Amino acid sequence: MHLDPEEIERLRHGELPPAAEHRVRSHLADCAECRKQTADSAADEAQIFALLRHLDHPLPRVDAATLAGRAQRAEPLWGRLAAGVFLFFGVAGAAYALPGSPVRGWVQTTVEWIQGAERSVVRPAQVPERDAGVAGVAATPGKAFVIHFELPDSAGAARVSLTEGEEVTVRAPSGAATFTSGAERLLVSNAGSGATFEIGIPRDAPRVEIRVAGGRIFLKDGTRIVSDQPAENQHYVLPLLEP
Amino acid sequence: MFEAHFTRLYRYLDRLSGDPELASDIAQEAFVRLFRRGSMPDTPQAWLVSVAMNLFRNARSSRSRRGRLLTAARSEGVLSDPAPSPDHFAASEESSRRVRAAIDRLAERERRLLLLRAEGYSYRDIATALDLKEASVGTLLARARAAFRECYEDTDAP
Repeated sequence: MHLDPEEIERLRHGELPPAAEHRVRSHLADCAECRKQTADSAADEAQIFALLRHLDHPLPRVDAATLAGRAQRAEPLWGRLAAGVFLFFGVAGAAYALPGSPVRGWVQTTVEWIQGAERSVVRPAQVPERDAGVAGVAATPGKAFVIHFELPDSAGAARVSLTEGEEVTVRAPSGAATFTSGAERLLVSNAGSGATFEIGIPRDAPRVEIRVAGGRIFLKDGTRIVSDQPAENQHYVLPLLEP
Repeated sequence: MFEAHFTRLYRYLDRLSGDPELASDIAQEAFVRLFRRGSMPDTPQAWLVSVAMNLFRNARSSRSRRGRLLTAARSEGVLSDPAPSPDHFAASEESSRRVRAAIDRLAERERRLLLLRAEGYSYRDIATALDLKEASVGTLLARARAAFRECYEDTDAP
């Protein structure tokens, strides 16, 4: 059994692993035909490579430092754009991570907007204020609405009542919180306010949840109410503690 | 290190294109991109060849006519440097023409295989750059040489 062209080429080019090279060289020692093929292959290659040198032109004068300088000077447009995007997301990420940062709400709103979900209607100006020191928002609930208090607040509470209206309303003393609304979601940034939030939920709303830091403290599902706190005079007073 | 890598890439592109100016531009741009990359690829030689080939493909159509003109002009300049005799000039010119004709008649893959190996690229680099199975590079090289030999002998001898 003679060597195949792959073995001959690889032997000449030093591309055989040691064990295979040993086997091929042992074969060559005993096989004149394969030795001739190997020699012919080498001579043919040398002759062709010599012919290829007829195509050569002088080398350009280029050094690594020059090219490195070019690489730094002429960063392409896409490179600058990529750097800008990375910088933007770096700053945004840092802002997002800050405690109490409104960026989280903006991000959530943006994501939900991109997802094309039906947006809730937010009309803070239309919330009837009981006195000048109260602020709030109103939103039309869809099939499943969530009021999300961002942080637990041992001094704070939510006073929930069922209303005959069509909108979920949340009121708080001015400056106690900021509100961010998205599709089926109202984020209440309430860090350390110690305030009592007045929440009105339409009786006809299919499903409304109240959550604190991700944990559910109240659920209205149809006519069913789920709460750890008993109703008092048709109100539920819920501590803003993580369940 | 840089000079060795640059030289073999430039030589490969120069022989492939017949346009030294284009070859120089592309080889330099490939290294600029390597510098910008910030980290070394797994197979830097193959990476450089692949980048250069993409640049070459993009440039070839737009610069093909200009390339032919520059090649003709540069060919005279190179040969005139050592002040050759008229006979030597004519012989070199004829040899270049025959080799160029043979190279140009090869299939694209055979041409690249042969030129890459002529510059000493490893089987692994060749396989990566040309998207071949490394195990068959030797066989394909032998075929490429045979094809070149046939094309070269078919071209008109002086």
